[in-house]
Amino acid sequence: MGSRADMLYEECAKRPEGTTFFQRDLTGMHIARDLNELLNLVGDLSNRHLLKPLQFEGEPCWKLRPKDIAEKLRRLVPDERLLYQHIDNAHTEGVWSKALRAKTNLAQPTVTKYLKSLESKDLIQAVMSVKTPNRKMYLLKHLKPSEDVAGGPWQNEGDFDSALIEVAAKVVANKVEHDTCIRVSAGWNNYTSSDRQAAIAHKKAQVKGVPDIEDALPVQPYHPPTDSGASRLVHRSNPGYPTTITLAKYLNETGLLRGKTVRESDMEQLLEMLVLEGTLENVSASTYRTVIPPTNQKFNGFVDAPCGNCPVFDLCSDEGPITARTCAYFAEWLETTSEEP
Amino acid sequence: MSYTQRETPILAELCTFLVEDMYGELAARVFSVLARFGRQRRVEISKASYLSSSQISLGLVILTQQHLVFHSPSTEATVFYDIDWQQSYALVRHAKIAHFVEERFNKKSANVISNLLTLGHTSLADLRDAYFQPSQQEEGAVNGKKPNGIKANGDTTINGQTSLVNGTEHDDHDDETLASPEELYGIIQTLMEHGWVIQVAEAQYLSAEDMHNIARQQALNDQWGGSVPTGTKDKDRLAQLIMANKRRTRDAWLEVPNFSSRKRKANESDYGSSKRTKLNGEGQYGSAGSYHHSPEDDLVIRVNPEKAAVAMRNEYLVSLVEQRISYTTARVYEILLRSLEKNIPRCFEEHPDPPPANIEDQPQWEPNPDHVVNTKDIAQRAKILGLDICNGLDPAAVARVTKTTSNDKGVLAQPVDHSSLSFHERSEIVEAHLRLLVDHPLHFVNWHARGQYRVDFDLMAKSLIQQEIENTVLARKSTVAMKLLRALKKKGKLDERQLCNTMMASANDIRGIVNDLTVQGFVQTQEIPKVDRREAKLSLHLIWYDMQRAREKLLHDTYKGQVRILQRIAFEREKIQELLTKANRTDVAGNETKYLKQTELDDLKKWKEVQEKLLLQLARQDDLVAVLRDYCGPLLTA
Repeated sequence: MGSRADMLYEECAKRPEGTTFFQRDLTGMHIARDLNELLNLVGDLSNRHLLKPLQFEGEPCWKLRPKDIAEKLRRLVPDERLLYQHIDNAHTEGVWSKALRAKTNLAQPTVTKYLKSLESKDLIQAVMSVKTPNRKMYLLKHLKPSEDVAGGPWQNEGDFDSALIEVAAKVVANKVEHDTCIRVSAGWNNYTSSDRQAAIAHKKAQVKGVPDIEDALPVQPYHPPTDSGASRLVHRSNPGYPTTITLAKYLNETGLLRGKTVRESDMEQLLEMLVLEGTLENVSASTYRTVIPPTNQKFNGFVDAPCGNCPVFDLCSDEGPITARTCAYFAEWLETTSEEP
Repeated sequence: MSYTQRETPILAELCTFLVEDMYGELAARVFSVLARFGRQRRVEISKASYLSSSQISLGLVILTQQHLVFHSPSTEATVFYDIDWQQSYALVRHAKIAHFVEERFNKKSANVISNLLTLGHTSLADLRDAYFQPSQQEEGAVNGKKPNGIKANGDTTINGQTSLVNGTEHDDHDDETLASPEELYGIIQTLMEHGWVIQVAEAQYLSAEDMHNIARQQALNDQWGGSVPTGTKDKDRLAQLIMANKRRTRDAWLEVPNFSSRKRKANESDYGSSKRTKLNGEGQYGSAGSYHHSPEDDLVIRVNPEKAAVAMRNEYLVSLVEQRISYTTARVYEILLRSLEKNIPRCFEEHPDPPPANIEDQPQWEPNPDHVVNTKDIAQRAKILGLDICNGLDPAAVARVTKTTSNDKGVLAQPVDHSSLSFHERSEIVEAHLRLLVDHPLHFVNWHARGQYRVDFDLMAKSLIQQEIENTVLARKSTVAMKLLRALKKKGKLDERQLCNTMMASANDIRGIVNDLTVQGFVQTQEIPKVDRREAKLSLHLIWYDMQRAREKLLHDTYKGQVRILQRIAFEREKIQELLTKANRTDVAGNETKYLKQTELDDLKKWKEVQEKLLLQLARQDDLVAVLRDYCGPLLTA
């Protein structure tokens, strides 16, 4: 009998993990000779916690449990087992300890005690919920907490994973830059200023004998060396602007996030953050492009002077210890001396 | 009493400094009394100031001449005086105005405008006489030999604007020297047509309140025979009429009179002036080139204080484009804005029609047809200026227009010389620049119709204010602080968790920044109790950002920064006062190297550098003030 049950278990274990078995599946394995025996075998396995009884649309069905977990389960006291079942039912969403108490009608200390013992037996885990930061949610050890509990791909243990965000942001920003901008090298348009007009004007002047005002070549304006040998970033004239969807797909394809996938909403969150940060800008509601970094970052007259950044600006007055006369920052900026306060 | 209340309001202090610097101590004393006590009569000024009656008169004359004070209409028995803050602050812009005019017209115009600035207002005849003394017979002698009539009123250090009128040492061909009264009249006419110079009217001396009362009375007289209407509809109608009256009064100042003299020969005068020439005696007919009085001599003119802000706005926008997009695009934009400038007398309508009572009647925002330009005009102008318009674009776009190709590094297969482009190609390339401007989130221009683009200044003004607030925060703190501000701007009131989610940062990282920004007055916090007891744990804590508040705070701080700069200049000057006195002695001036020691020369040089640095910063802070204050009216907070 025992060996037959084991045979049934082994046969089921050959199927892909997580398969749900219905009665017809189990009979199809031709291990039990008749229905009665099959029921006995299943009953035996269920008692040993190797099969987990379930119901699907009113029809009984079963799932396999790994042997080591079944072993541990066998050693639990009934209350512990009850808790375990409830936690198991909550799947990846997890269940709050207070909700557990309400469901099981156990006393608070008992619940706490057994939850601890289950945790120490490596059967369940406690996770901080992102939605409600002060609630501990319990779920089975081998499960990955759902997004509602653990947050999206950007979060780790209930908090934002700043290192991951930074890397992902960089990758996305690079991708957007590649799609919407072109780096133009300095000598992109190396025309030799043939001064064709000058030549024409000169010729005309020679023919006419009198220079025409209209033909006079205008004075070439002073051109500051903005291009001085360096390449510049320029927006493409007709780019295919990347959207939230294409970028999410791109980021998932890079495999950078190791197993985590980025949904559209996650990507939208990231992109919105990048827009706030000033790395990207919206072209339309869901398309983005790179912000060209300013050639020479100037702020404004106020913050470029000492007063704009002064830590004691609010204390500075016409008289007293802090004034324009005694200001150390002015002295440093102007390279002069200030009065001793 | 908190320290903020103990201080004099900062703008009053700033303006008093400016007045003192420009017009001396007496004017500043009278000004500061008015600044401290507000609208008052002469008797009260004299009580508060310890000045003698004649001194007060003198001070008030200077202030009135410069349009720094308002006074109640002359029809009333007692005259009240009040400060024109806008005009008083504008003292800091004198050098800028002269500079703008020089850039847009020429040195001669700049010379005329800086004289007008110094004089406050003047009649055309007086101005002419100052340039060309009437007693002189020969025109040739006018500029060359004799000293000019106008003297600087005071120290011009603030603006660094150098003295007035035609210098005596210049020869006749100097491009700053006016050749004839006709030329002067021509310049004035051009400046008036472009809105830099306007007529003086008595209404300009009316404070906002007086102006309102007069406009109201006029509306009442016109429509309701002087009695106040009662119905709601009539009241709305009244409010509308008042605004319309104010606008009409103001727009009349901008009218350019028909300058008859400009193309008229001396002896073909119309009836108006022939009367005068007779009075002046027959002798004048003979002397060639001598000047006849013309009907517009009585015209009293002044600089239009609102025009400077328009030019400043354009300069600011161009520099923003240069930073954000590219040098060449900025030049294209400059051409575009300059071509509009003539039609824009002011940055925003100060007396708009009052909004209708119910929201649905709110008129749709309508683009201003005066702010539309043609691509072709810009292309034409860019050609005249010899601008290399191919720069700053995606090479692929240039290649498409010129039928060549570019590789992935953007190098053109066939280089394009911008001067050899056809008119059509040129227009297309300008169009590409304009598209860059359209695509930018600030929307520097908007598409209007085929080949036409429009600038929506009003819509941009708010973004510019936001821009400067962000800039300030960015420079002071960090990107995170700026991010926080923008997050709040976009999302409205948030609690800490929502804010973390938007910024994708942990609460610990942003808590400190929220505190700092709150202390600096850029963001506000709010606590809403959920239960009767006000318990921190059971309350909502919201963080929010109000642009109008941040704008006022930053404006106040900037004024304060300007005051500190002026104080520092005074302090630096005081430190080497002795040396300056020495250097200004008539025997020393001009021969500094001969009479002064090397150390003294070094000190003098250092002082000049320091002064220059501070004045430059003052002017740049003024740019910030203009963005925050002058480009749009108060923002309504919901």
